[in-house]
Amino acid sequence: MIEKLKFFLSVTGNNLWQFRTRNLFSVTIICLSFLTVGIFMSLANNLRATARELATNMSIAFYLEPGLTENAIDQIRHESSLPAFVESVKRVSAEEAMERFQASFPDLADVAAGLRGNPFPESFELRVNAKASASKEVVAFVEGMKKRPGVTDVMFNQDWVEKMQGFSRLAGAIGAFLGGILILTSFFIISNVVKLNVFARKNEIEILRFVGGTNLFIRLPFWLEGITLGLLGSLLSLVLLFVVIQVFPVYLGASLGALQELLRFRYPGLGQALILLGGGAATGFIGSATSVSKFLKV
Amino acid sequence: MIELFHIWKQYQKPYWALSDVTLRIEDGGFYFITGPSGSGKSTLLRTIFREVLPTEGQILVNGVNILKIPGSRIYTLRRTMGIVFQDFRLMFHKSVFDNVAVPLQVVGVGRKEIRRRVFATLQKVNLHQKMWELPGRLSYGEQQRVAIARAVVNNPEIILADEPTGNLDPELAFEIVTLFKEINKQGATVIIGSHDRELIRHFGDNILFLQKGKIVGKEAHA
Repeated sequence: MIEKLKFFLSVTGNNLWQFRTRNLFSVTIICLSFLTVGIFMSLANNLRATARELATNMSIAFYLEPGLTENAIDQIRHESSLPAFVESVKRVSAEEAMERFQASFPDLADVAAGLRGNPFPESFELRVNAKASASKEVVAFVEGMKKRPGVTDVMFNQDWVEKMQGFSRLAGAIGAFLGGILILTSFFIISNVVKLNVFARKNEIEILRFVGGTNLFIRLPFWLEGITLGLLGSLLSLVLLFVVIQVFPVYLGASLGALQELLRFRYPGLGQALILLGGGAATGFIGSATSVSKFLKV
Repeated sequence: MIELFHIWKQYQKPYWALSDVTLRIEDGGFYFITGPSGSGKSTLLRTIFREVLPTEGQILVNGVNILKIPGSRIYTLRRTMGIVFQDFRLMFHKSVFDNVAVPLQVVGVGRKEIRRRVFATLQKVNLHQKMWELPGRLSYGEQQRVAIARAVVNNPEIILADEPTGNLDPELAFEIVTLFKEINKQGATVIIGSHDRELIRHFGDNILFLQKGKIVGKEAHA
């Protein structure tokens, strides 16, 4: 069995080397196709991770009307802590809000200090269970609190989470669409390259038929060729993807500002890398198998 | 034993490449099929290894109706035969050794055994010293000997040769048929399609004369 496998691998290797120029061409096309898929995949990865991060740190802030009594404030705290999805309620005083502002925007610290009074309102910050982050109950609760007397405004970052999730789905869809077209192209290219290889080895195939070669014996090297081309192309695309991920943020520098965070690529996980490799092998196999069955009637 | 019953073959109307050919080829025999160009020699040989399907008739090889063998199992028939062509049909990018090894590789013989048998066969055709040469660097006579070595390396029961000396000068042709005769002496049935009268007169044990697809004569010499 091992000897047979060795034999077929050596035949495949020789055949690949014999028509190396056209095989290199098809590897390049497969590589570019899978690189496109990979880039969008890693972009979607980042957006999905950002959305997940936002969802995990999801918080709701209720800003309180100035001059509320302690009783009224306690009542709001009590109501805020009632829903099961609320994990914690923290009261943020006006002074603490001012300190946070000064810490976050040091350039504007002097401006804030020069003010006659403290313009920041007192608030409650609620941490919400990540699983319930986008649920209808949370939205209904927030809407209810908005109308409640004593609450002037509500800050809720659910919109951002949904936007991130939407962008992530969009990036995934664009990647799947563009990648799909390109993979289809590589499929046809492999099919044609293998077809050319079949024609170039017509004499050899005929000899194999005359000496009693089975269909499998004749077809297997062509299938292996297709699989090898697909695997090499997708492997190369993974290598290039890592290079792109390394180089891209450096190249863009800070020119994208806040968008840079969103456009940052994340390395594909092991599962995704295996999917890309498997996809390459499958594209190669299907491309060569269709060509061989069509042009190699044995 | 090869038996052909009422074989008809038509490639294009109204011409018949073979018309009602019935014959029996005994095991271990040495046969020449002869006749002018277009008489149906190649078609007859090609029907025996089922490269060509007859329009009508039956062919039995060792009692098996080869026309009933499904396409995917034709290899079982071809493994019992060695086929030699006028144009040699060699793989010119592979060495003499690799060319001769092919029939053994397709049946899954191990590497050591392949090396032993290919070397022994190349010794028989006196080409063992050119084992690693590419066929393109050999003379026509040597190339035909490579093709013969490939045909006999797995000891087939039947050797079919279609104009094996067509591209060779008379001396080399004589040498090649002598080689076939030796292979026949070792037990294989040899059928050669040829129109070389000199060779047939010299070597022909059994001669079948074809004309316009019909067998018009048979000769048997002891």
